[in-house]
Amino acid sequence: MNRTIIININSIVFHIEEDAYEILRSYMIEIKKHFGKTPDSKEILEDIENRIAEMFTERIQTGRKEVINQQDVNEVIALMGRVSDFENDFVDELREEEGTVEPEQTRAGLDAEQEPAKESASTSEPNFTFTASKKLMRDMDDRIFGGVCSGLGHYFNLEAKWIRIIFVLFFLFGGSGVLLYVVLWAVMPQALSRSDKMAMRGEAANLQNFKKSFEEEMKGLSENFSGAGEHFNRGARTVGDILGRIFSIFGKILAIFFLIGFGCMLIGLFITFVFSTLNLLGFKNDIMLPPLEVMQPTEAFFALLAGFMAVGIPTFAVFYLLLRVVFKVQRMNNYLSMTLFATWIVSIVMILYFVVTTQQQFREESTISVEKPLDKSDSYVFNENDVRVIKASDEEFNSKKFNVNVKGEKLADFLRQDISIRFEMLDSLKAPYIQYNYSARGNTYQEASDRASRIAYQVKQDKNLVSFDSHFAMNQKDVYRDQNVRMVVYLPVGTRVSLSNSLIWKTRDIQADACRQDDKKTTEWIMTNKGLKCIWRMEEEKLKAEEEKLKAEAEKKQAELEQLQEEKEKAVEKLKEKIEKEAEKQTATATKA
Amino acid sequence: MIAENTQTQMRKGILEYCILSIISRGEIYASDIISELKQAELLVVEGTLYPLLTRLKNNGLLSYSWQESTSGPPRKYYQITADGLQVLQKLDVTWKELVFAVQTAIGNREI
Repeated sequence: MNRTIIININSIVFHIEEDAYEILRSYMIEIKKHFGKTPDSKEILEDIENRIAEMFTERIQTGRKEVINQQDVNEVIALMGRVSDFENDFVDELREEEGTVEPEQTRAGLDAEQEPAKESASTSEPNFTFTASKKLMRDMDDRIFGGVCSGLGHYFNLEAKWIRIIFVLFFLFGGSGVLLYVVLWAVMPQALSRSDKMAMRGEAANLQNFKKSFEEEMKGLSENFSGAGEHFNRGARTVGDILGRIFSIFGKILAIFFLIGFGCMLIGLFITFVFSTLNLLGFKNDIMLPPLEVMQPTEAFFALLAGFMAVGIPTFAVFYLLLRVVFKVQRMNNYLSMTLFATWIVSIVMILYFVVTTQQQFREESTISVEKPLDKSDSYVFNENDVRVIKASDEEFNSKKFNVNVKGEKLADFLRQDISIRFEMLDSLKAPYIQYNYSARGNTYQEASDRASRIAYQVKQDKNLVSFDSHFAMNQKDVYRDQNVRMVVYLPVGTRVSLSNSLIWKTRDIQADACRQDDKKTTEWIMTNKGLKCIWRMEEEKLKAEEEKLKAEAEKKQAELEQLQEEKEKAVEKLKEKIEKEAEKQTATATKA
Repeated sequence: MIAENTQTQMRKGILEYCILSIISRGEIYASDIISELKQAELLVVEGTLYPLLTRLKNNGLLSYSWQESTSGPPRKYYQITADGLQVLQKLDVTWKELVFAVQTAIGNREI
């Protein structure tokens, strides 16, 4: 029993046994090489193929013998003649006469040293089905990273070093070379088997070429054994090679840097993921990604996972690639890489889902407004009560120390401090009150207002001391939906207010900072017709105004004084003139007399 | 080596003349040319003939036409052209001269 192959010679189909086919193929390659350099090669080869087809047809007897076997092929070859027979005849001289080839090269062309790529390029392909077409594959024998450049080199009939230089140039201009390289690395298959390698170089896989490729490999192998120094010297013959080597070394150093960078990034991502997960599980720590606060813990965990995958997988891919580049690590298993890719896609979709659904949760806003009276008083002390601080410790040192201590385990979870205080003036006869505006967002208005109503925030009054809690508590089952408390404190004109410094940042619409004095823990205010005013600022202004008034008065007096002086001088001068005139008169009468 | 070379030269010289002569007798198929040449023991393998035929055809001495075959693909049948006939006539003259020259050279020597 024999396997048969179907071949097509000049549009006629033959069934041929496998071994017979190998012989025929290697014969045709020989013929092709022999006539390949002559201008008439196409026609000659067609004639020969035609004749072979005819001879095959003669040998086939329908119903009895339908397959071309080894014997048939051998007979046909004997009739057609081997290349060695042609040489004994006249053909090679004929070829020389044509003047298309140098005699030396003609002979050399028959040897295995002939460049196969050139051969296939110059020979027009006959109609044989085994004609070789080149495949774009990564050359694993001649590689710096993944053999992409040498593979491209084979494909485009260029030396690999030029392709490498082009890639390095691309890399220098914006790093696009790296991306291109990565893509090609992923897309181009490795040329592992011998037939792959020959397909890559554009050689038809046949016995002769197999032999040749094997010999080349053995040659390469023995070269590899014969000392690295020699190898280097040989390789360094051309400038291009040296450049290639420098670039490859440079590239490797760069790759190592990137490898370290991406490695750190991966570790960082992982740490963030682990600690954020711990946070969600209730083991509180400082690493919490803010966006997660808006979600329910289970949702948040999936979002976190998706986020980690979405960022981690590409990072890992680049990391692994660099690892391959630097340490020649094995290519990732196909299933693994496909799984990673699929996971990445899923995580991206999940993130989109979470973003959209979470955004929906913020669609509606609701505000609940409540007015609560304050006990009437001429002056108030507004204080902040830091709910996180254990009351027992009053000293500042201790309060700082105890700041981390919270009442209850999960208090920090639902404590929020989006609280603001504004002051408005009231007629001096009316009773003071505080208007509380509780707001929250939600998917529906109802949800938002429910959520707003669950905000627990109330000011405590003890005589004239009013305490504002530093935080308000959300209901424990609530998540962050932009909950906030906006307070408006309505005070009659003339009411004095002492604001604790710690409360200042909650206040709005007043220049609280400008009222602060370094040595005081409170700022003093008074409600006027124009709103709450800082007392010492007001006094200062008053003083200034008085000062200016005094100054103006003094100036006025000075001016009056000067005027008087002037008048006095004028009067004196007039007097002087009068006296002089009289003196003249007297002298005149005296002379007359 | 010298003998071989001379042999090749001699054969080469007359091969084209012979092919032209055979074709001049009428339209003929390549493999029939071969069998005649084989009979004459001038050529052994077919592969040698095709380059020669192509070359003669490209020089305008031969032309061919495709003819359907009962066994296999269509065949190329070669015929001589007017140019080919002219060349053949010249070669005929040369051949006669050569025969005369060679005969004279050989003289009475037994071959």
